[in-house]
Amino acid sequence: MANLEDLYGPRVLYKRLLGLLILCGGVLLAPIVFNDLYYLELLFLCHYYVILACSWDLLTGFTGNVNFGHAFFIGGAGFSGALLNLHVGWGPWLTLPIGGLIAALCGLLVGSFTLRLRGPYFAAVTFCFATLLYKWIMIRYEIFGGEEGLHGVDSLMEATLGNYYVSGILMLIVVFFLYFLSKSSFGLILRSVGENEIASEGSGINTTFYKIVAFMISAFIAGVAGAMYGHVQMHVGPEMAHDSLSVLVLIMAVVGGMGTIIGPIIGAYLLTLVNESLRFMGEFRLLIYSSAVVVVILFAPKGLLDLITRGLHRVLGQGK
Amino acid sequence: MDPILEIKGLSKAFGGLKALVDFALRVHQRELIGIIGPNGAGKTTIFNLITGFIRADSGEVWFKGEKITNLKPFQIVNRGMSRTFQLVDIFKEMTALENVMIPCYSHRATNQRHRGRKPWKVAMEFLDEMGLGHRYDEPAKNLAFGELRLLDIARAMATEPDILLLDEPFSGLDVEDATVLSKAIQRMHEKGQTMIIIEHRLRDLLKLVERVVAIVFGEKIAEGTPEEILNDEKVVNAYFGERRE
Repeated sequence: MANLEDLYGPRVLYKRLLGLLILCGGVLLAPIVFNDLYYLELLFLCHYYVILACSWDLLTGFTGNVNFGHAFFIGGAGFSGALLNLHVGWGPWLTLPIGGLIAALCGLLVGSFTLRLRGPYFAAVTFCFATLLYKWIMIRYEIFGGEEGLHGVDSLMEATLGNYYVSGILMLIVVFFLYFLSKSSFGLILRSVGENEIASEGSGINTTFYKIVAFMISAFIAGVAGAMYGHVQMHVGPEMAHDSLSVLVLIMAVVGGMGTIIGPIIGAYLLTLVNESLRFMGEFRLLIYSSAVVVVILFAPKGLLDLITRGLHRVLGQGK
Repeated sequence: MDPILEIKGLSKAFGGLKALVDFALRVHQRELIGIIGPNGAGKTTIFNLITGFIRADSGEVWFKGEKITNLKPFQIVNRGMSRTFQLVDIFKEMTALENVMIPCYSHRATNQRHRGRKPWKVAMEFLDEMGLGHRYDEPAKNLAFGELRLLDIARAMATEPDILLLDEPFSGLDVEDATVLSKAIQRMHEKGQTMIIIEHRLRDLLKLVERVVAIVFGEKIAEGTPEEILNDEKVVNAYFGERRE
């Protein structure tokens, strides 16, 4: 019999660690190669979207409960952080975790009502909450600044390179945490909920509890990212709570490969960079970008990660 | 001796259809009971009601001296009652071993004798028990139908149930697979596992069980030993139609 320790024991984690160390090296060394403000800011955006897409993946990719309103947490925490910074004077090191906590509490509230139910309720309600927040920001312009948003938020770090590294390290922490969480018993249980919730409950698992906890973790991380974005841009705007951001995050995870944590990293980097590199196309940019996304989803419905792994297996002759 | 499971006056209607009417049953420790009836007689409804997957209109279920009528399915599993499913659509994308690891993370399994043991080792023992040890790394979707049935039983057993409910375990199995399954059920019974088996295939079931309950259109029509049931006029009528004079 094969050694089960090799498959499920701690040793397998060391092997996986190796792959993630490559990502670490890339993040640390990239500024040496791309030592330019434009590239640093672009890479900051990549970090930001990786955090969002991976956090979205934890609940939706694993349990299949589609969160259509990730922007609710991103925008909500972004504005909470900015308001606390502007009116109470708290710095980024306080507003980032507090933004995350506020988002997690909102996740608990929304999740406890909707995640007990099976069916489309959760997707509908998350969508509604994000839309409500967006409208609220627009209506109460004396608090949230309406279309203009809020300006004059403290910068995260003094220099762009500082922002780059803080966001990069945050991204690495999130990716490591989520990846190992997904490979733990917690991740296995989430997968079982996604595959067959009735059988999971019939195996003695309190599926609602696991879904709510996953949703809270997902919301917390999105909240921290939202607050960070506000401090880096020194501005928060209603677009942070807009449906299009929720959809963008969803597309990044789907293109990369849902339920894998690694897939959304690929999706977020790729789509951010492709979107930026198409800027010279002018008005054709959106058309080409959207067509490319449709093509990927058509030909790699399980995402690019699946395509890459299958390709590697074929090249290395391990394909089944 | 007090029964481990006592069902009192359980009823359920779906709209105008009476799926179960005033059903009562007492099950004692180590018993192996069969519930038979034609398709649509309400057999699976009984399991769904006592395991909390659907709510009863009236009646009570008592398990080990506790009323469990309104508990959720996972709470009932954690009190020691586990079931298999008629349509074995378990965790298809997961390996056989992972399928059995899930119940090892249940509250009951982690608190009982599994404490401190690696879940994959415990799960492997249950797979071996069902003769599936060599298939541990195979995704469940690649397993044969008979193997899936055994896998579902291993999954249910991994919660260390005091009573195991098997929902039509023989349906869709060929003779060879049915023999493997019969042997597995006999082994569990010899170890003292209390079981209720629902089945409409009488031949396999009646060889195994000690006591049989027959239901038709949601109502219990007979209860007794396999011989008594086979000679019961109402049961014969329900299965083969009334005898012509």
